[in-house]
Amino acid sequence: MSEERTTPAWLPILSGLVLVLFLGLVLGPERVLHVARGVARAPRAPDLLPAAGWSMLRMTASYLASLLFAWAAGYYAATRPGAARVILPLLDVGQSVPVLGFFPAAIYLFLTLLGGGRLSLELASIFLIFTCQVWNLAFAVYEGISTIPAETRAAADSLGLRGVLRLRALLLPACIPSLVYNSMLSWTNGWYFLIACEIIVTGKAEYDLPGLGSILSRALARGDLMLATGALFTLVALVITIEFVLWRPMRVWSQRYRYDTMQGEEAEEETAFRLPDLGIPTLLRPVRALVHSLWERLPIAAANRAAARSAALARAAWRWLRWPAGVALVAGVGFGIAGIVRAMSPPWPREAAALPLALLFSFLRIAAAYVLALAWILPLALWASDHPRQVRRLSLIAQIGASIPATAFFPVLVALLVDRFGGMEIISIALAMTGMQWYLLFNLLGGVQRVPRDLHESMRSLGLDRRQIHRKLVIPACMPALVTGSVVAWGGTWNALILSEYVVYRGRTYEVLGIGQMLNRATFQTGSRTMLFLSIALLVGTVVAFNRLVWDRLYREVHARYRLEG
Amino acid sequence: MLALRRVAKSFLDRARPTPVLENISLDIPEHEFVCIVGPSGSGKSTLLRIMMGLTPPSSGEVLYRGQRVTSVNLHAAMVFQSFALLPWLTVQANVELGLRARDLPEEDARKRAAFYLDRVGLDGYEEAYPMELSGGMKQRAGLARALAVEPELLFMDEPCAGLDALTSANLREEVLTLWSDHALPVNTVVMVTHIIEEAVLMADRVVVLSSRPGRIAADLQVKLPRPRSKRDEGFDELVDSIFERIV
Repeated sequence: MSEERTTPAWLPILSGLVLVLFLGLVLGPERVLHVARGVARAPRAPDLLPAAGWSMLRMTASYLASLLFAWAAGYYAATRPGAARVILPLLDVGQSVPVLGFFPAAIYLFLTLLGGGRLSLELASIFLIFTCQVWNLAFAVYEGISTIPAETRAAADSLGLRGVLRLRALLLPACIPSLVYNSMLSWTNGWYFLIACEIIVTGKAEYDLPGLGSILSRALARGDLMLATGALFTLVALVITIEFVLWRPMRVWSQRYRYDTMQGEEAEEETAFRLPDLGIPTLLRPVRALVHSLWERLPIAAANRAAARSAALARAAWRWLRWPAGVALVAGVGFGIAGIVRAMSPPWPREAAALPLALLFSFLRIAAAYVLALAWILPLALWASDHPRQVRRLSLIAQIGASIPATAFFPVLVALLVDRFGGMEIISIALAMTGMQWYLLFNLLGGVQRVPRDLHESMRSLGLDRRQIHRKLVIPACMPALVTGSVVAWGGTWNALILSEYVVYRGRTYEVLGIGQMLNRATFQTGSRTMLFLSIALLVGTVVAFNRLVWDRLYREVHARYRLEG
Repeated sequence: MLALRRVAKSFLDRARPTPVLENISLDIPEHEFVCIVGPSGSGKSTLLRIMMGLTPPSSGEVLYRGQRVTSVNLHAAMVFQSFALLPWLTVQANVELGLRARDLPEEDARKRAAFYLDRVGLDGYEEAYPMELSGGMKQRAGLARALAVEPELLFMDEPCAGLDALTSANLREEVLTLWSDHALPVNTVVMVTHIIEEAVLMADRVVVLSSRPGRIAADLQVKLPRPRSKRDEGFDELVDSIFERIV
């Protein structure tokens, strides 16, 4: 069919060698050797396995809490008329507040109110990870429930499905595809910001919790490359294991819960590199059988009656409790807002004058990272459109790349680049790029894949050459995917500024003027609540305005104009 | 059996109420096969959903055996144009769904689902998932799902609209056979369609809706002897006369 040239197997190896040589030449051989030595000795670093266990526990606890919260928020937004108009903007704002913005709340809620022991520190850390994971899960539940086709919903109603049965047969399954996809994003996000979540800072005091994030952060601060690379390896190994053992089979499994019954490309794509389903089937089969038999044995009527009884009980309790609870809630929110307003009210420190400029610089940095990322991704995606068989291999790489938190590579990047070509400025852009590129690649490859082959063939039969086909067909057809990828990439990178504009390496602080730097200084140096809240307000305002004014419009425009189907 | 009293429905269109149905009064006696025809936008499907109790009317009332219908009528069942099978359940589980909702013991539910799957010609496909079936088979599964709750009243919303000509002809035959089988509890059918020939082939009575807002434009008995075919005497005349009332 397509005359495909196969790439020789030695090409990647050769290009890798050339890259290493090139790096050695421009960076100085002793630096590369230093990093290599660190990498070679890494496996002997102590404490990594227990740390990984602790991090894993924290992530799991936070993920489960996120699921519960996301279900409640998403379900409420999707089923109560008018609720979506209040909840969705709130989720949007929550999503755009970087994790440092939740420090004051975490410290107040858990350290001040619960005493400040180990448990309260753990809870604070879990809460911080939670704030990185929860938002897109809530959007996923909302999307899953609100996109149930009207006829399917009517069919469930006409059969008399109610209560537990309705939840289990209709609502939960409808959310599974979007929940599985967004769970992967949430975990990546959690790993990404773990480096910021395991060290709790209250003014002068800093508490380290044992975990990969705190080890990475401390190793970087001390310039201990051996420990840093050890942590990096542990983290990457952990993430890849989870990807293969959990998410890969979950993705395949979740395909069953989609309405569009197209068996074509996507199903094929998943089976094309379906790996031996490591562990999961043998592990899950007895669990599933158990749940199934329990479910079969569950008397629906009794369960529904029990649910109704407990609901009535809860309503009665609520009738008694709603006044105190309402007063407490209003008081709490009012107290919080009053605190924020008091902190934000003038006189502002002198630093505040630099905020607009900082915002502008941050924006330019993200834009530069975006352009740089596109500069290699776009040609690669176009190349892939001519070699359809390579697309699968590439999207496997992109998926794994996207699941590895870029923060893990910070130590290596910083060690290689510090004090070279503009130093921190380059590091900052490179760090932003490492976070954003995979989402772009992943989405663009998806877009390339969805261009039907017969359109390609019809273009070729009309006598268009490769370049013309790219310009007339592939690029326009990929626009929706490009915009979707860009929205995710930009959103993530705004939040990642807190890690990319301020790095402590070998006891020295490297920083560039930016909104992320402002947030870090307010948290770790000056402890100024005023600066913290001002920076966050500015950042959230910018991100939300940018989403509403630029991405939303672009998204609608592009989807209206470049849709392939229909 | 089912009675509609001055039923009206309006939807909000950009905060302005837009009437969809107006002043619909209708009696559907037992053992009758009624077809509702009308141009698109005449509110046929909305009317059917009001009869089923899925949507409340804006005014007027629906009575089932003299009782006012205020929520989903569990003595009735419905077949949908898009089949509306749950893609994550097997055919068998889809058919059992309504029985589980009615608290039928597991063994009985399985037997009854198997019985109706057999009746619609889907035996051997119990463990298949909907996406593995053709359109006609999906609609048979939808039919079995509706019949399995053993409704006294069956609603069908353009059940043949998504199928090709041959498949829909087969399905029509199947529905008529099931309807005339007195061993089955279902004996009253209300079907919405926009194909007039289909209505004349199947129904005892054709109710014609006018468009926007839908009102009853005509209510005709079809006296042609069964089994019918398109070559029957008087068939074309009847189709033409209904067609004229719609235009």
